[in-house]
Amino acid sequence: MALRIAWHLLRTGLAAWALVSVVFLLIHRDLGAVQLGSPDASEQRGSGVPLSAAAQAATEQAIDQRLGLDEPLFYVSPPAEARASWRWNGLRNQYHRWATQLLRGNLGQSYRTGRAVGAELADALAFTLPLTGLAVALSVGGALLLALGLAGRPWWQRPVRAGLVGLQALPLFGVGLLLLLAFANPEALDWFPGYGLGQTTDQPPGTWGYLAAYLWHLVLPTAALVLSALPELTLQLHASLVQELGSHYAVTARAKGLAEPAVIRRHALRNALLPSLAQLAELLPALVAGAVVVEVVFALPGMGRLLAGAAVARDAPVLVGGVLLVGAARMLALLATDVLNFWADPRIRWQS
Amino acid sequence: MRIRWARDPETLDPLFAPNLAAFDANNLLHVSLLQGDIATQQLAPALAEQLPTVQLVGDSLTRLQYRIRPAATWDNGRAVLASDVDFTLKLMLCPGLPNEAARNQYSFIRAVLPHPQDPRRFTLLCRGQSLEFAQASGDFFILPEHSLDPRGLLRRWSLADLQRQPLPLPADSGARAVAQQYLAAVASRSSNRLSGCGPYELLKWEKDRFLSFRRKPRWWGSRLQPAPLVLQARPQQLEYVIIPDVATAALALQRGDVDVFPQMPAREFARLRAAPAARSALRFYTSPSYDVATAGFNTRHPALADALTRRALSRCFDAAGLLRATQLGEGQRTVGIISPADRANYNDSLAPVPFAPDSAVALLRRAGWQRRSAPHEGWFRSTGRGADQQLRLLVRYRAEEVLFGTVALQFQAAAASIGVPVTLRPTEPGTFATAMRSGDFDVYLRVLRGNPFMFNFTQLLHSASANNVTKFGTPASDRLIAAIARADNPARRTALLRQFQALLQAEAPIVPLFYLPNRVAANRALTGLHVGSLRPGFAAATIERVAQPAP
Repeated sequence: MALRIAWHLLRTGLAAWALVSVVFLLIHRDLGAVQLGSPDASEQRGSGVPLSAAAQAATEQAIDQRLGLDEPLFYVSPPAEARASWRWNGLRNQYHRWATQLLRGNLGQSYRTGRAVGAELADALAFTLPLTGLAVALSVGGALLLALGLAGRPWWQRPVRAGLVGLQALPLFGVGLLLLLAFANPEALDWFPGYGLGQTTDQPPGTWGYLAAYLWHLVLPTAALVLSALPELTLQLHASLVQELGSHYAVTARAKGLAEPAVIRRHALRNALLPSLAQLAELLPALVAGAVVVEVVFALPGMGRLLAGAAVARDAPVLVGGVLLVGAARMLALLATDVLNFWADPRIRWQS
Repeated sequence: MRIRWARDPETLDPLFAPNLAAFDANNLLHVSLLQGDIATQQLAPALAEQLPTVQLVGDSLTRLQYRIRPAATWDNGRAVLASDVDFTLKLMLCPGLPNEAARNQYSFIRAVLPHPQDPRRFTLLCRGQSLEFAQASGDFFILPEHSLDPRGLLRRWSLADLQRQPLPLPADSGARAVAQQYLAAVASRSSNRLSGCGPYELLKWEKDRFLSFRRKPRWWGSRLQPAPLVLQARPQQLEYVIIPDVATAALALQRGDVDVFPQMPAREFARLRAAPAARSALRFYTSPSYDVATAGFNTRHPALADALTRRALSRCFDAAGLLRATQLGEGQRTVGIISPADRANYNDSLAPVPFAPDSAVALLRRAGWQRRSAPHEGWFRSTGRGADQQLRLLVRYRAEEVLFGTVALQFQAAAASIGVPVTLRPTEPGTFATAMRSGDFDVYLRVLRGNPFMFNFTQLLHSASANNVTKFGTPASDRLIAAIARADNPARRTALLRQFQALLQAEAPIVPLFYLPNRVAANRALTGLHVGSLRPGFAAATIERVAQPAP
């Protein structure tokens, strides 16, 4: 078993490395040129001398040098002309420098803020993990309870299922805005705060008051995330529970005289969980990737906005660091699903 | 006092503000020699005692004499001196810093000549002669030499020495040490390590959440009597909250969580102004701005190389209709890229380009285009050699700009009605910048930001400028642009500017559609809110909250 997990881990690591290498090479093409033009570069100002093409090229070269983009990108360069051949660049290349720094745990510095990428990611994760973690826990718990309830075929089965299907059709920003306009609006119900995580001066951090204010601000964003994740999880689990309850072993269990709830919980649930485990693997990367839509609508800081902003501004170090983190989370989630399947389903154990 | 920002400033580097939020924040922390006065819309002396006296030397040099206010001090009580100005200008040339834009912008200043007796008095020696040097030479923030370069490492070079070095600059140990100290000070985000002589200090900065600024208890500007508007700092604390979504920000304004919402989009502004509850709690302000929505043609494209074709296509923009649809009637139509609010320089004898697709057809015919019917439908023109040119256009604009989505659709529909196929390409900002530089577009749509002080179109439209994305330029237009930049008195410049607007309309490399309005919504309990055309559209440091009467 340990050997198997080690082999999986190795494969996972290689896959994450390959992913992030491809992203690194793709984003680093034509990077310096973008850095020069800030989004508001369309200014009617400047000195009396036109910035000639040569001066522009020199400026770009200076930017490249400052950002370390003046070296070749990779160990080999593709031919510049049709008849030339591939060129070997040796170890003095951006990829090699980045990879050796990464192995030492250094992800580089953000082009935008000049801060270490590790610190940027850690700051964003500190906001993202509580939000997404809470949302995942509540969605999984809620889906489990709801699916178990629905499997007993109560009278509310039809309306709830219809409601879930309707909810699934709504886009996340729609859910977020609806919640905001319904529960944080002085013209409707003014129950919850409208944005952010509270202000500077309200409460000192580390106190109960601070924690309460923090959670209070998280209610609507978490609700939006839960409402968007819940239908898919519930409907899937419900469908597979219904299927399992129709199988022969469930009939046998009932024939033994077991009550329906016991049949559902002790017999059908474990088998019905297998497809849902794969769905969980989908949720885990989102845990670290953040939820950019909810972060924007509720003005929360986090990984989603950090990475979206980095992509727009071509802040390569932050983007590559973020992709590495999210990619690693995805690979680990896949690994975790494998292990969980192994534990949940004896048939998989016997096959291997 | 809470003010909404749409985005985080990302860095508070006074030499390089990547966005408007960073520029606003720097304005609180630092002071430049001259600053824009929102009430008069002129540059007013801030750190400088008066506007500089200008002395022309020969026909190619200008001397600008400044004196720094004797009251001006850094936080530790040291006086702000001419040596700080010299240091700041050298820092713009120091290798390893993100100062490339500043380097190009202030390259006309060749030397800072200190006064032998008065350490506050100095002369800026400028290469070239221009009316605008007086203003352009004073709009950078002055940084403290004693805290960023305590050992005086940059004093070894003169400004001209640093400018003479070819780019990229060779890294020298002294300059590198100063650069590293500066970068560390910027990255530390601490007012202690990068203290300006501005009225506020940064109290707290939570990325993507808020920035709060506290008024310095003993700021030198508060000792001035009377305090000029640019040196007023009334609120004890200013908090900028970052709310990216417009609907969320409007809700926060209605709830009273935010006091000022600058640059509010048209629809949200109109909706709130019509709502009785919002009307009783908020005040609404509008003013003209210097931002003009423009379309531009890629004149390198053979089909767009002639003025007749460009003029024909410019008649497919329904500027009046677009103004009604996107700005709900506010904003102003314009004939050129000088604001109609600038009465003296705006060429009011020209008429705005009409929306007239029918007359566009006639112009296209005059330009040599012929309309063919199916199976090869469209406008064609023979080039004399090889295949015929076809008139088909690729329009690029930033995908997130709703305004240009509407403009592009209107243009596409009008062009289709006269048989010109138009492909719309909403583009992600980074790719848009690359496409502009590489010329991968036929028509672009974007906002051109201006100000009332400077009329230098060299970077934008001179044929030798790398930033001229339309690649337009005729000997006549280049001469005119150079003459405007060199004009030695306002009357002469006005005449040239009027001529330039007529030339631009005739050549139509860019089509100015309309000037956008500036909209600010603010809590009724605020006084002293000066709303004006200078960015960011209002003055934050003059606002006060009216004391609420006790119930």
